Amino acid sequence: MTASQRELLESIAAHAVILAAVAFSLYPILWVVSLAFSGSTSLEAQVMPVPTDPTLDNIREVVGSTRTEVDGSQIWLFGRQLLNSIVVSIATAVVGVAIAIPTAYAFARFEFIGKRGGMRLLLATQMFPAVASAVPLFMILETLELLNTRTGLVLCYASTSIPFAVFQLRSAFEAIPTDLEEAAMVDGATRFQAFLRVVLPVARPAIAVTFLFAFMTAYNEFILAATLLNDERAFTLPVVLQRFIGEYDARWDLFAAGAIVVSLPVMLLFYQVQRHMVAGLGAGGVKG
Amino acid sequence: MVAVKAQNIVKRFGEVTVLRGVELDIPDGAFAVLVGPSGCGKSTLLRLLAGLEQVSEGKILFGEREVTQLEPRDRDIAMVFQSYALYPHMSVRRNLEFGLRLRKTDAATMNQRVGEVAKMLDIAHLLERLPKDLSGGQRQRVAMGRAIVRRPALFLFDEPLSNLDPALRTQVRVDIRKQHDELGATSVYVTHDQVEAMTLADVLYVLEGGEVQQRGRPIDIYDEPRNCFVAGFLGSPAMNLLRAPLTRAGELWRAGEVAVRDAGHFSKLRPDAEVILGLRPHDLRACAEAEADLHLEVEVVETLGPELTVHGVLRGDAQRQPFIAALPAKLAVQKGERVPLRVERLHLFDAATEQSLR
Amino acid sequence: MRAALHRRWAKLAFALAFVLTALGPSLEARAEEPVVLWHAYRGAEEEALEAILAAWGGPVEVLAVPYDAFSTKLESTVPLGEGPDLFIDAHERLGNFRERGIVAPISAELLARSGGAEAYNLGALEAVRFEGEAYGLPLSQKCIALYYNPALVAEPPASLEAIAALGDAPDWPEGVYPLAYEARGAYAHAALLAAFGGALHDPVADDYAFEGEAAERSLDYVLGLIDAGVIPEDADGALVTNLFKAGKAATVFSGPWLAADLEGVEYAVAPLPVVEATGEPMRPLLTVEAIMLSPHGAEKQAARELLAHIAGPAGARIRAETARSLSARTDVPPSDDPLLQAFATQAAQSTPMASTAAMRAVWEPANRAIRKVLRRDLEPKPALEEARRRFDDVRRPPPPPANPAPVVVLLGMLSLLGAGALVHRARKLGGASGTLDALRRSLPAYAYIALGVVAVTVLVILPIFFGAGAALFAGKPHEMYYVGLANFVAILTARGAPLLSTGSFYVVLAVTVLWTVVNVFFHLAIGVALGLVLSRPTMRLRGLYRVLLIVPWAVPSYVTALAWRGMFHRQFGAVTGLIHAINDLFGFSLEPIAWFSRFSTAFTANVATNVWLGFPFMMVVTLGALAAVPKDVLEAAEVDGASRWQRLTQITLPMIAPTMIPAVTLGAIWTFNMFNVVFLVSGGDPDGSTDILVSEAYRWAFTRDAQYGYAAAYAVLIFLLLFATSRITDRFMTGSKEDRA
Repeated sequence: MTASQRELLESIAAHAVILAAVAFSLYPILWVVSLAFSGSTSLEAQVMPVPTDPTLDNIREVVGSTRTEVDGSQIWLFGRQLLNSIVVSIATAVVGVAIAIPTAYAFARFEFIGKRGGMRLLLATQMFPAVASAVPLFMILETLELLNTRTGLVLCYASTSIPFAVFQLRSAFEAIPTDLEEAAMVDGATRFQAFLRVVLPVARPAIAVTFLFAFMTAYNEFILAATLLNDERAFTLPVVLQRFIGEYDARWDLFAAGAIVVSLPVMLLFYQVQRHMVAGLGAGGVKG
Repeated sequence: MVAVKAQNIVKRFGEVTVLRGVELDIPDGAFAVLVGPSGCGKSTLLRLLAGLEQVSEGKILFGEREVTQLEPRDRDIAMVFQSYALYPHMSVRRNLEFGLRLRKTDAATMNQRVGEVAKMLDIAHLLERLPKDLSGGQRQRVAMGRAIVRRPALFLFDEPLSNLDPALRTQVRVDIRKQHDELGATSVYVTHDQVEAMTLADVLYVLEGGEVQQRGRPIDIYDEPRNCFVAGFLGSPAMNLLRAPLTRAGELWRAGEVAVRDAGHFSKLRPDAEVILGLRPHDLRACAEAEADLHLEVEVVETLGPELTVHGVLRGDAQRQPFIAALPAKLAVQKGERVPLRVERLHLFDAATEQSLR
Repeated sequence: MRAALHRRWAKLAFALAFVLTALGPSLEARAEEPVVLWHAYRGAEEEALEAILAAWGGPVEVLAVPYDAFSTKLESTVPLGEGPDLFIDAHERLGNFRERGIVAPISAELLARSGGAEAYNLGALEAVRFEGEAYGLPLSQKCIALYYNPALVAEPPASLEAIAALGDAPDWPEGVYPLAYEARGAYAHAALLAAFGGALHDPVADDYAFEGEAAERSLDYVLGLIDAGVIPEDADGALVTNLFKAGKAATVFSGPWLAADLEGVEYAVAPLPVVEATGEPMRPLLTVEAIMLSPHGAEKQAARELLAHIAGPAGARIRAETARSLSARTDVPPSDDPLLQAFATQAAQSTPMASTAAMRAVWEPANRAIRKVLRRDLEPKPALEEARRRFDDVRRPPPPPANPAPVVVLLGMLSLLGAGALVHRARKLGGASGTLDALRRSLPAYAYIALGVVAVTVLVILPIFFGAGAALFAGKPHEMYYVGLANFVAILTARGAPLLSTGSFYVVLAVTVLWTVVNVFFHLAIGVALGLVLSRPTMRLRGLYRVLLIVPWAVPSYVTALAWRGMFHRQFGAVTGLIHAINDLFGFSLEPIAWFSRFSTAFTANVATNVWLGFPFMMVVTLGALAAVPKDVLEAAEVDGASRWQRLTQITLPMIAPTMIPAVTLGAIWTFNMFNVVFLVSGGDPDGSTDILVSEAYRWAFTRDAQYGYAAAYAVLIFLLLFATSRITDRFMTGSKEDRA
């Protein structure tokens, strides 16, 4: 066998492995998609996720939800809730990343008392199950009078997104050569200017990826959102999805349709950010 | 444009002491080179001058001004990094402008200065590119440009040539010296390469173990190394260092087999002391058998064009220590030959302290 | 350039303004105070409610809450004086609401205004009464009855045996079940149980009652139905609906909610049949949906008026017409709607569900026992005995109060020790120049981390601290008292049961460790393998593949976890479809697997789901780590004659390991606490054996009598386990690193 033949065979094998993995990763999602577009439920065990009685009704019903206000005016509820989801998620990501950036930078670059302990403590917080810390968190939000607000919700999400963002960004900052900041400082920058004008732009891919993760924690979450928000107009989309599951019956078709609609923006974001993702997550990708 | 003085600099990192009482005294406008093997503390010393690290003890003065506690940006310095440290997200132009912008220089001045520097370094055509699109040599020039454009009182160079290939290195070395002469600012240059050190320096500092081993003009240090370390470190091929007993017969001193003809130069000779005999390969001359101080049993001959580097072992050396002589190419020495050598000049060091006996 | 910079700032400012304005409205003050009403209605019932509210005219703020979140929301708002003035919920949660001070009694005056006690069906009113006071006004009554398909069964069969015999008819169509209902659930089983003279709960003693001969016989009877192919064995609510709609089930037991799904389907409803074996009729559990007042709502005139309006006769009529719900009022007799008439008859033949804590504690053991019997893991008798033990376990008396003095002293000593350690650290860092100097040099860093420290302290550390503290307490949420380490002792001694019995801490821990190890292994193996293949220099379509492979990440995990559960359904899941396809293709005769009936398969299903969810993260981390491996090292190894495998194991993997280790550590921690997948996919099936520590903690906190302190003790143990493990591995790793150096 010649080298080029072997190369070809290997290439085929590689594609086969990847395609198998792609099938594995898409199959359950295709089921959700097929359910979302099904007009009725099949009672056969099917292999292929093909919708039965294809229809757009489910999507239409989910997207077209409206609400009549007290004054009789109609608002497009779904649109409002989509906006809520996006706003809450962006706010979570902005708050989380904005707080995590300087913290992660200090952990990556400075020597200070409590550095090792601080990092350990942060890792340790990840080990405590939220089951037991959720109620105290509510109580704290109540003290801050933020319980029924989207701000409170954002803070709840930030509590999970900040530690993760700090881990992510710390390794990203560590991967940036210190020379760059030193050059900037010799060039006349203060440490803070060097951080702002050199480190941050260089770390942009990693920041983008961290932002996306923080966005997703908030965007896909429904337990806290359902518990904290007391106004239909303030609901985020996952809460709306959860509404399709009732005490006695569940509208899985609507649930699936909602899930598809909800996931679309995230998929688009993924597509945008994915080329950064490798560099951003794995550190090391930044070179002069 | 500023003299640099450092007094009794001590730098510790935790338990490790990196610099132990270093003194620098670099005249205004001089090109000073700090040379030493890796780990000698030369880069740390440079970073202390830059203000990137804080001294544990001691004082740094630029001219009359004490800068020990000042931030880098308040020291009026520019630095060229080994990695160049070009800002990867900025074009070459923005890289050059960065320091000027921070000082709120007006656009016209900025443009003019960038133009001048770009012309001087021949990077005018690269101004709109990003660093990743430049070759190694181009990056190096941009890094130089970024330092020059600021017109600082003091240039600091941290092994700026080590990432270049040898041919380019020589050329850039010459350029750096030329630019220094044009700009007239004081320069401090760190390298582990003795050729760079010898060729560039007005003032040379040889560092080892966190201490200055010797300060002076390169040629003075080459000629009169104060101790074994300096002797062995400068010069290529390196000086041969051999242990030998010092004996005296009448007026004639001998170090082992070798006659010390200019004994008058050495003020600290004591008979029957153990010494280290230093012989530069270039201070050896092939001679007639009668004149010979030493005989080299040749093992390997390297031809370098005008001269040969001859590796071998001295006759009668029980320890068979490697020995090198630099001989004219026309001698056509062969492997296995025994070459009689006459010592033109020698160095003597105390075997215990390794200090020169001069 | 400058203009571009300005644009960027402008964009940022705009984004901030957008965020702030969008967050604003929820804080705005309202001029006139509307009555706040919460409900979990959907569809026709929601429409009916809207119509009733429209008839009232006053300002109402309605919130349709997801059913799953309803109780939690009430519990987390009303005690704080927030949340609704009025809410609609099933009566069986009243006991809990009363204990938590969520619900206020209906005054005699208010009852009179809505028509007085005689206007209500006696049983329905009794259901919402405690110690002579009504805690809500009944709106509708719900119980299961018999739906039948007239095309298959002309008349409602008189007895269960008659239904079972339907399939014996010569012209009975292929693949049609005579009957379908949620046989595996205690709720539906209760109706059959009643026919055998048994009950789930004894209202007099307020105790577990699902035991004894009646209970065993009822279970044997169901087994007989399954064996005879009368009912499908794996039916959940959705399947029952679908079978009936598709004409694949001649009769089903279901409640009024099914009717909403049957538009365009021919059906009729009759009371549940008699069981000939005993001669008794089946008697379902009755739920009364009631409108309730929160304590602050009780103070509001408008809220009280609205309550009377909604519960009043006009409201009942609208509900009956629009939503076909069975009124609980005597002055609104069921119309000539045959559906309502059938349900009215059935409601008269039903047992109102108890609303006590003991009743709520019956469900989990009873459900598990029924499933165990139907899977034939256990005979009815031992299964029911086990359920009894489980019930007693949950309802065991809380530990006695303890003296808090020792813990105060201990805390004091710990904080002294901590301070001492801090000073020691600082000294070391500062070297000879001292702590103060080290602190001074730390100051700039503190400026950077200040915001993060405040945020993490308030949002993460304080909640954990209080949450952990709760482990030392027991009792009802608002009257917890200090019990010392009693919760820990109870957990670690498996509450007196054998240490290796199902559900004991040690068994669950073993499952959790297995779960973590297996998952992390597959995450890593698949992630690294795909990362390696994708980073082949000649790989085409890399970007596309990368996006497709990280899609599992982008879809909310609760959706995909449920999709996986569906795929593992024994009869209709895609995996079964796959098995059929393989059989057809290769002529095999593989049996479809009942995935959630055995530990090994249920665990496998959980793992498959979680691996699917988790491998993209590892793949992306691997890709990043691989990008940082210099090519020349690999080439050097190739020149040195290393085979491909050797290059992988001796160069590539060791070189990416340092980058991967933090990700693997985090991944392991997350997996250890990955509660979603276990909860949504296997739900602990079979018999709680696939539960991991976190889902166990969750059950104690929310479903088993709200033993919050007990759940907190679980959380603390989980934390301590993970922390100890991480310290040990940390030490081990730094140790081995030093060896290398």
